[in-house]
Amino acid sequence: MTSEQRQNNASTMGDPSADDPSADYDWQGLVRGMRTAFTVPGLVMAMSFLGFGALVRAIAFPLKGAVAMDILMWALPGQVVYVDTLSRGLALLLALLAVTLTAVRLMPMVVLVLARARLPGARRWPEYLAAHFIAATLWVMSEMYMEGVPRRQRVPWVIGLGLTLMSGMVLSTFAGYHLTAHMPTPLAAMLVFFTPAFFILALLDGARERADWAAIVLGALIGPIAHLSWPEIDLLLAGIIGGSLAMLFTHRGSRAQGERP
Amino acid sequence: MTLAEGVIQAPSWVLQASMLTTDSPLWNQPALWGAVILAGAAVTYIWRILGVLLAARIDPEGAVLRWVRAVATALVAALVARMVLFPSGLLAQAPLVARIGALIMGMLFWRLAGRRLALSIAVAAACFLLLEYLFP
Repeated sequence: MTSEQRQNNASTMGDPSADDPSADYDWQGLVRGMRTAFTVPGLVMAMSFLGFGALVRAIAFPLKGAVAMDILMWALPGQVVYVDTLSRGLALLLALLAVTLTAVRLMPMVVLVLARARLPGARRWPEYLAAHFIAATLWVMSEMYMEGVPRRQRVPWVIGLGLTLMSGMVLSTFAGYHLTAHMPTPLAAMLVFFTPAFFILALLDGARERADWAAIVLGALIGPIAHLSWPEIDLLLAGIIGGSLAMLFTHRGSRAQGERP
Repeated sequence: MTLAEGVIQAPSWVLQASMLTTDSPLWNQPALWGAVILAGAAVTYIWRILGVLLAARIDPEGAVLRWVRAVATALVAALVARMVLFPSGLLAQAPLVARIGALIMGMLFWRLAGRRLALSIAVAAACFLLLEYLFP
């Protein structure tokens, strides 16, 4: 590590032990993370990627494109939006705009995971690698399991967990794509249904403050209205209007809460 | 009816309006479809880079991040509503009552049975299957 990098990282937050400039990651965390992949959230994730494979098949999107998305995008809502929007024949730029708007939510997740995992004195590249694996499920898993991982092992832990989940999800997409061809339609439709069911329940499960609840309800209400009026930008409209209204409501709510002794 | 038949019998507009379905000539040109996926990857990863850069500086409880989080949450909720109310492909072949009923059952179970995520998803899927057979 160069002294320049060290300077860049010197003024950062985190626990005091993390400010040690000689600190570096303990890569034993990699194996530890790989083991964490085999838990209930990993299984749920596999189900929804089974559904993604089925969805991809159902809208006649090629498997190689879907697998490439698993590896390069690694964010199921964005992948579903991308596949869905492209196969509806909408313009590429609009599809990318929709994808990037769903990916905005990755930023706070990366911030939240890395703030608790990174060593300010250490090399930066593991952080950029770890960030590629951070999405909704991994964020939820880090809330559940990262507390028990020693600080120096945490970024490798995220990478090991992410790599293992990604391998599993590629297999899952593959299986979902091929299994549905030999399946009765209602069963195949159920696999596709795993995706919206997983999303809405994961949103509810991750909701902590009133803004989250309001955003879920408003997004689900405004979405269909926006879809009937402006199908090209329905998700963006629902997201921005619903999210902003939810923030306005909670701004008042949190202020009222703050006034309590 | 198998899925393959379902795809063949899908409304013709699905295939006609499609830009990137299996029959698109684009998939024979790795450079082109690779570029499409890479573009999707780039617009996704850019927020992760921002996250790495901000992780050291930003206040995760700050107002801007809370707004961003609210927008993203509403957007995914809208995506769920779109998939359930205006489905494409296979899901469109399931009755509306199965799509909405199963989602509501899953959420009710999640609320009443101690917020068990995995079990609630399984319950929603089981209800979906049941409703599909009850209301073909």
